Amino acid sequence: MSNECDDNRSAGCDEALENLYLYLDSELDSVTSERIRSHLDDCHGCVHSFEFEKRLKSVVKERLDEEVPEVFVERLRTALAREAATDTK
Amino acid sequence: MADQADFERDALQYNRQLYSAAMRMTRNSADAEDLVQETYLKAYRAYHTFMEGTNLKAWLYRILTNTYINKYRKDSRRPNEVDLGTVEDLYLYRRIGSEASAEASRTTEERVLDGLVESDIKEAVEELPETFRMPVLLADLEGFSYKEIAEILDIPIGTVMSRLHRGRKAMQKRLWEFAKERGLLPEEAEKP
Repeated sequence: MSNECDDNRSAGCDEALENLYLYLDSELDSVTSERIRSHLDDCHGCVHSFEFEKRLKSVVKERLDEEVPEVFVERLRTALAREAATDTK
Repeated sequence: MADQADFERDALQYNRQLYSAAMRMTRNSADAEDLVQETYLKAYRAYHTFMEGTNLKAWLYRILTNTYINKYRKDSRRPNEVDLGTVEDLYLYRRIGSEASAEASRTTEERVLDGLVESDIKEAVEELPETFRMPVLLADLEGFSYKEIAEILDIPIGTVMSRLHRGRKAMQKRLWEFAKERGLLPEEAEKP
């Protein structure tokens, strides 16, 4: 496997890879997160995999985003206004 | 307690996000529009019960999700498991790495990330069984925290984590297939 740090894999790599998603999702406590950040400063293999997953996550987000049809937003406003009018009757 | 008069100002700003999620849940724009409209109307009627200062976006998502499950879900007989067999962590990344030399894998990574089009990503998410699709949407489209996802879906945090993990893996497996189909990988690209 050519995009990993197999040759020099350390306990730091294990910890980083195990917690990769927790790290990218900002779900780690600050101590662990800091330890991983400093491992990433020194480990090209890990940083490479983290960068890939981070980009994939943003590509997914970006390409799932939908344009809302303007006519629909208008319909929504009208429906809410109608609902509010019924309330005050 | 929140004032209904402020509802439109406070809640309508989330229509784009709710609509994007609704599209991936219902898989078509007519149902997505109905689902979002029904969510807003229910939220409006219940707005006096919403505690101001708490998470309005998460509250709206909870209503959206429940409304979808109760009314629009048509695939309750679809499998609720994903067959992950030997699918490893970082599946896409590792598959790309095993296909090429270190320098070449960087190029391939770029090509895959740029080359997977909107419809690939959407299809990969829509094909996930609902149990996995919801956590993936809430985390990756909306950026909700695990705790918020647990509250929206009414499941324990541990369950959120394992479903998210499996859902993302299954999605990567599908994206790998799309990358192959689209000829984004070295040997595929060389074919005439």
